[in-house]
Amino acid sequence: MRRKAGLVLLALAVFFAALAPLLRWYAYPRLVKVPPDRYETMVLEARPATLIDYGTMKAKKVPKVTVVQTLKGNVEASEEIEKGDDSDRDVVVWDALSYVQGPDGKMVSKVPERYAFDAHTQEPVHARGEMVDGDPVRREGIEFKWPFGTEKRDYAYFDAQARVTAPIHYQGTRTFRGLEVYYFEQTIPWTKVPLPRTLPVEGLTRESVARTGTTRWYTTVRKFWVEPVTGAPVYGEEIHKEELRGGTLLGDRDKVTAFSGHVKMREDYIRHTVDMVSSQRLLVLLMTSYLPWGFLGLAGLLLALALWLEARGRRPGRPAAATGAEARPQPADGRPPA
Amino acid sequence: MRALIAAATGLVAALALVLTVTAVGVPSGGTSPKPLLTTVPEHP
Repeated sequence: MRRKAGLVLLALAVFFAALAPLLRWYAYPRLVKVPPDRYETMVLEARPATLIDYGTMKAKKVPKVTVVQTLKGNVEASEEIEKGDDSDRDVVVWDALSYVQGPDGKMVSKVPERYAFDAHTQEPVHARGEMVDGDPVRREGIEFKWPFGTEKRDYAYFDAQARVTAPIHYQGTRTFRGLEVYYFEQTIPWTKVPLPRTLPVEGLTRESVARTGTTRWYTTVRKFWVEPVTGAPVYGEEIHKEELRGGTLLGDRDKVTAFSGHVKMREDYIRHTVDMVSSQRLLVLLMTSYLPWGFLGLAGLLLALALWLEARGRRPGRPAAATGAEARPQPADGRPPA
Repeated sequence: MRALIAAATGLVAALALVLTVTAVGVPSGGTSPKPLLTTVPEHP
């Protein structure tokens, strides 16, 4: 019976010892990934801000500009890409919308995007339909989210306004609302960018503005506080400036500020994001650290127990293990045998 | 010999468990019916 228990413990010890590395290096990259059906919203605000009035083509100070950002996983599109893809990777397709609203609640601009990427590594996947505001693009680098297990290094980050990829620099480790985060910053210098296809004034289109010779320029400093286990930003800010330059639309002026503001995440969304990322972080750590190390410890304990049982089973003095001398018949007078 | 068989059983069980779980994977679900927002939500 003791022998059987020892063998069962040994089998369990090997089971948990094997499970630990399998979980970390086989299951983790296959199971920990961005789900394709995710739906996320984010609200950012610039208080105060400078905004162009397209009616008068003059910049004015406003108390608040709100940016509503939606990311919606398109499951059908991701399955279609996976079908035509030779590799075994899981693909996520996000249909995104950045909707900018003025203080009066009216639309300032709206820019849709389609972004496809590897669900685990965050590498961009190039497929039909990849676009920004209807313009086909070929992204390099990351956008919106960092990969799981974010490293302390610079990453290539895609800027949707300029349609370019530029480095986003790791600038140190910080603590944000109790979470250890990596701080990243990217500066896009003044760059000529296309006007949004949807403008707030009827009759004013990207093409009609282009005919006047007026161009749109943009610069930004983008800041992200990224939780490294999940690669999810828990907070973001952008010091964003846009100008219209030249052309007959501006009359005798060289340039007009189209937008200027320090855009920050709204407080309730910060709390929501921190809570969500904290719970996701725990799940990822279970796969990468807590369970593998726990299983290794358990395997060691079970092995020690199995060895102890085996050693007890072999200890001399047990009736079953009696030697021939002990079993020999003794003389009745108690004298030692000759 | 019996110890070897026990160890092999443990190893095979671990492999079978991990391969099954990863093969089943995570359900992909469906595209959310919620729209891309053009209004400011009151809260997350």
